[in-house]
Amino acid sequence: MLQNRHLVFRQQSGSGKTTMLNIIGSLDIPSAGEVTVLNHSIGSLTQKEAANLRKKSLGFIFQSYNLFGVHNVFENIEFPLLLLDYTAAERKKMVMEALEWLGLTDKIRSKPPQLSGGECQRVAIARAMVKKPSLVLADEPTANLDAANSHNILRSMEALNREFKTTFLFATHDDKVISYLRRKIFLDDGRIVNDELTGN
Amino acid sequence: MIKFLLIGLIRDKSRSRIPVIVVSIGVALTVLMHAYITGFMGDIIEINARVTHGHLKVMTAGYSENMQQMPNDLALTDVSSLTEELRQKYAGVEWSPRIQFAGIADVPDENGETRTQGPAMGLGLDLLDPQSPERERMNLEGSLVRGSMPGKANEVLLIELFSRKLDVNPGDRITFIGSTMYGSMTIHDFTVSGTVSMGQEALDRGMIIADIGDVRIALDMENAAGEILGFFREGFYDDEIAMENAAAFNGADGGNAKDLAPVMKSLSQQGTMGSYVGMTKSWSAMISMVFIIAMSLVLWNAGLLGGMRRYGEVGIRLAMGEDKGHTYRSMIYEAVMIGLAGSVVGTVIGLFLAWLLQKYGIDISGIMQGSALMMPTVIRANINPVDYYLGFIPGLISTVVGTMLSGIGIYKRQTARLFKELEA
Repeated sequence: MLQNRHLVFRQQSGSGKTTMLNIIGSLDIPSAGEVTVLNHSIGSLTQKEAANLRKKSLGFIFQSYNLFGVHNVFENIEFPLLLLDYTAAERKKMVMEALEWLGLTDKIRSKPPQLSGGECQRVAIARAMVKKPSLVLADEPTANLDAANSHNILRSMEALNREFKTTFLFATHDDKVISYLRRKIFLDDGRIVNDELTGN
Repeated sequence: MIKFLLIGLIRDKSRSRIPVIVVSIGVALTVLMHAYITGFMGDIIEINARVTHGHLKVMTAGYSENMQQMPNDLALTDVSSLTEELRQKYAGVEWSPRIQFAGIADVPDENGETRTQGPAMGLGLDLLDPQSPERERMNLEGSLVRGSMPGKANEVLLIELFSRKLDVNPGDRITFIGSTMYGSMTIHDFTVSGTVSMGQEALDRGMIIADIGDVRIALDMENAAGEILGFFREGFYDDEIAMENAAAFNGADGGNAKDLAPVMKSLSQQGTMGSYVGMTKSWSAMISMVFIIAMSLVLWNAGLLGGMRRYGEVGIRLAMGEDKGHTYRSMIYEAVMIGLAGSVVGTVIGLFLAWLLQKYGIDISGIMQGSALMMPTVIRANINPVDYYLGFIPGLISTVVGTMLSGIGIYKRQTARLFKELEA
């Protein structure tokens, strides 16, 4: 995978989008061929190694946010840092930074049910980004958002990509989303049919 | 991470409060049911203890060998000092001297001639002392059918059926004809103060219930008694303690006692009561086990469902890089916490309910009227030491095992599958 890119898999339903994301995210292994992510061959990773790769280097953003419903914004964003054994002071600093990136400082004690869809997705992005991973996988991240929120979310991710050099990999068939991204890979029935690179 | 898990556990009612409530209810029912079954089965033994056997019985060695014949010529003598000695030695036991006797009940007409007569069993116990627990122990006031309780010397109670058979009413005079402790004939007049129905076939055939003082006079048994019955103050028979007490008494006072030397026998050492006590224990254990297994399955299932319901959350955690083993262990820790909390709360509630049932009981005398069964008229629970930890079997073990089984799914499923379930 190319680093520091903002790229997308564009595809129709059933073309292999989720499978592709799962394999890149080391949640699944390829049945044939080889997939290398951040210099790790996914097929040869043990479960512990795959978990370690996800813990240190990968972030996930889901279509339906998948926040921990009973934990507040701070605790949701803090969770990946707990797995990385940061101290409480370090965690607090990092979470506060992530909240600032996404403009969520006033929502620090709110719980997901008290947030709008756009705010939930921003929390999800902050949670994915707080550990500053090399790669963030986003599966239809704006599917549940209106146009204004989608725009804001995508702008936020674009800014984070530029600031932290984190590669964002989207899976979507939404043209509006695609227009924000620089590299577009088109899949059809599991095969790459086009690979476009636009802008910087 | 522990804080994160604890916060989740405390804030998510469906993960903590509801499972704790379910476990508490299951554990409370288990404890209550076990105490109830133990109490109920024990009550049947209690009836036999109260009427004839006592939890412990002291009698002479000769009397003991021919107990069925009630050989009062082999009765204990100097009973007051022996009773006092027993009271001092065994503080946890109430001691009550009794005399069982047999003879003929003769009902005279207005001329003093025999109108009717019949064979009668007799039971002499302390009826006139207001401090005596014997009236309550035998539930005589509750069994009264006609007339009143004996209030003065030579007043007796007759079994209702027996009084009908003899055509005797409260206030009538009956004459007891029998033999004294020394083998000579005795004739003694009693006045029937009331009639009772014990609700038990064995007792309702024909019995005179008299104050032991009057019986002593009638049978020339001054300061003597056929037997001294001992009853544990806790109210329930404990075979181990009873056997220990009997062994200690007989050991100290000579196991191979001569005819007139006192010996002590536990309830289970008297006649066929031993096999009955054994049967009661095994039935009690079997019924309790069936209930515990049923409760375990319920709580196991609750643990299983609780674990499966969290596949979504597990999916997120795994996606973020949490190790499967760590996730699995954290679920088990949670189950241990829930199981422990539920077991403690449930045990406290169960013990409290069992205590209420032990103290106040449930009066079923209305249902038992006319029954020939030797059944208790008040159902009581009996709290045993085992009730303090019994509930932890379904409460803790089943909940944890249920969670462990559901957690195996985490290992069996591909991570991506969990992820898919999360997205669904």
